[in-house]
Amino acid sequence: MAFLFVALPLVVAGILPLIGKISKKVLPDVVANSVLIILLGLVFVEGRGLVGQAASIQQLSWLGEPVNIKLLLDGFSLFMLFAVSLVGLAISLFSIDYMDHYGSKANFYALFLVMIAGMNGLLLATDLFQVYLFLEVAAIASYALVAFGLGHDELEAAFKYLMLSAVASVFIMLAVTIIFGLTGSLGFEPVSQGLRALDAKFIVGLCSAFFIMGFGLKAALVPFHAWLPDAHPSAPAPISAVLSGLLIKVSGVYALTRVFITVFGLPPDLSTVLMYLGIISMVVAALLALGQTDIKRMLAYSSISQVGYIILGIGLGTPLGILGGLFHLFNHALAKSLLFLNSGSLQMSTGTRNLDEMGGLAKRMPVTAGTNLVGALSIAGVPPLNGFWSKLIIIIALIQAGHWAFALIAVLVSVLTLWYYLLIQRKAFFGKLNEKWNAVREAPFWMTVSTVLLALLCIVTGIFFAATVQSWVRPAADALVRGVQAALGSVGF
Amino acid sequence: MILEIALLCGLVVFSAAAIILRDLLKAAICLAAASLLLGIVYFRMNAPYIGVFEISVVAGMITVLFIVTIALTKTGGDVREAKAAEWIFPLVLVLFLAVDILVAKSLINKIPALESLPEQGTFGEVLWKMRTFDLVGQIGLIFAGVLGVLALFRKRSKDE
Repeated sequence: MAFLFVALPLVVAGILPLIGKISKKVLPDVVANSVLIILLGLVFVEGRGLVGQAASIQQLSWLGEPVNIKLLLDGFSLFMLFAVSLVGLAISLFSIDYMDHYGSKANFYALFLVMIAGMNGLLLATDLFQVYLFLEVAAIASYALVAFGLGHDELEAAFKYLMLSAVASVFIMLAVTIIFGLTGSLGFEPVSQGLRALDAKFIVGLCSAFFIMGFGLKAALVPFHAWLPDAHPSAPAPISAVLSGLLIKVSGVYALTRVFITVFGLPPDLSTVLMYLGIISMVVAALLALGQTDIKRMLAYSSISQVGYIILGIGLGTPLGILGGLFHLFNHALAKSLLFLNSGSLQMSTGTRNLDEMGGLAKRMPVTAGTNLVGALSIAGVPPLNGFWSKLIIIIALIQAGHWAFALIAVLVSVLTLWYYLLIQRKAFFGKLNEKWNAVREAPFWMTVSTVLLALLCIVTGIFFAATVQSWVRPAADALVRGVQAALGSVGF
Repeated sequence: MILEIALLCGLVVFSAAAIILRDLLKAAICLAAASLLLGIVYFRMNAPYIGVFEISVVAGMITVLFIVTIALTKTGGDVREAKAAEWIFPLVLVLFLAVDILVAKSLINKIPALESLPEQGTFGEVLWKMRTFDLVGQIGLIFAGVLGVLALFRKRSKDE
């Protein structure tokens, strides 16, 4: 069943261009959105099957004969599949109205579904080479999607993204090759056992460095972040939302976590490196975000900063830290997609992304202003929204582990975050209405539906955070903690 | 051994030339030459299938595609580049090679020699029976490439 997560979007992506010949708009909308609804339903079906089990390896069979496709489904991958399907659905609903003026909608949805299939494949992969392969599937689809507007800036940003991303892929491939040379296998389990049996600290360290460069580039951690502030703003708004909300988390954070925790078992040195990378990303990107006037650029820098929080939590490596990191990943996926979609609504209504030109738009676009406020406060960590709880968990985990300084920096960056989000809110929505925007109207129906859905999810996850954590985040964190403990050879911390 | 080193040196030289040369046609041919040498290295390392793929696909087909594209596009409209681009690449290349040689030297001493694995069947069996999920990924890659080309070239076909 889990194979459908990859197969369904791929098959539909294959026939979508043909569907596009029959119907330019309506059919592609219906087909693409139904695929994502089915995937979301499938997550619940698979989740029900996983209850009480730590992890399941699904073996596929074809006409009664076993096919050698093994898929790993544990709490962590299920949690990520849930995030991908949920946010993917919201984004695809938004695209119904937004992508109208770009033309060639069927093609857009096809690329979008290939990207979803690539991410899902990565989430279900059982070995290192599959991680690399599906990472590339999602990445290649995303290059084309960044350039989808075909303007000069879009093409330039896509090319820069392509080049830096190719460098990242080379480093990942290099590390995978060395590990294969060391252990003679690629699967997570055998590699992890092989590396433990082998005393090869230097080479494992080298591979870790390559992986950090590769996945760090994909996740846009600070020394490797140069491509993101160009690529994410240039893409059409729904694609900015997928890139910031999902892709950097799946191909960056998920892959990094899988490799470092499940395979390498998070040695203490690595944990320290990850925490420092997280802190640097948080601080530097937050400071850079403050100076931006382009709303999407500011959001892009904010993504880097928030990924810093996630890496800080996961890199800490304690059960609570991992829990907080993963919960923040989910919350950031919801809120950042919401904010990017709203920036798309603004751009569509006003034709500009420059915050200085906007002003007072709350009077003309009340729903967008309201949902944007929810997203902004959620990321900034204002109670009772979801972002508050995940940041709180990360900070408590840091204090528990004795990292007072890091906890203090995390709190301060949170204040900075609130500052620049209020800046967006004030410049774009509050204050006197700029005369230019008298004719501006609220975003069309489906765009509003999608943003309201995401805003409600932010609020509901915040209010019922205990239930969300118990049902989705806890199993994911447990799956990872088991990986750490297996490596340490001990039970409990 | 000497032949291997010569092949690898040639590979590096032709690859670097493909980047440094300003003439696109020469660059494409250098790339083909580099790939040919890489194919020979694969053959000598007992990996005939990957050697065949490297030579037929990269040295053959992709070069043809490059040359056709170059022939179909107009010349002129030189792209101006920053002065720094001229010396940054050679500098980085030299630095990289130096680091690479040092790292690789210590790596070769430290990687334990793998016990030769038992014969795992023919190439086809490995591909179809052992790495089946990879094929799904390959299909995804092809879709992404084709759809990407369709998306990026859509305006042009509309105008014409």
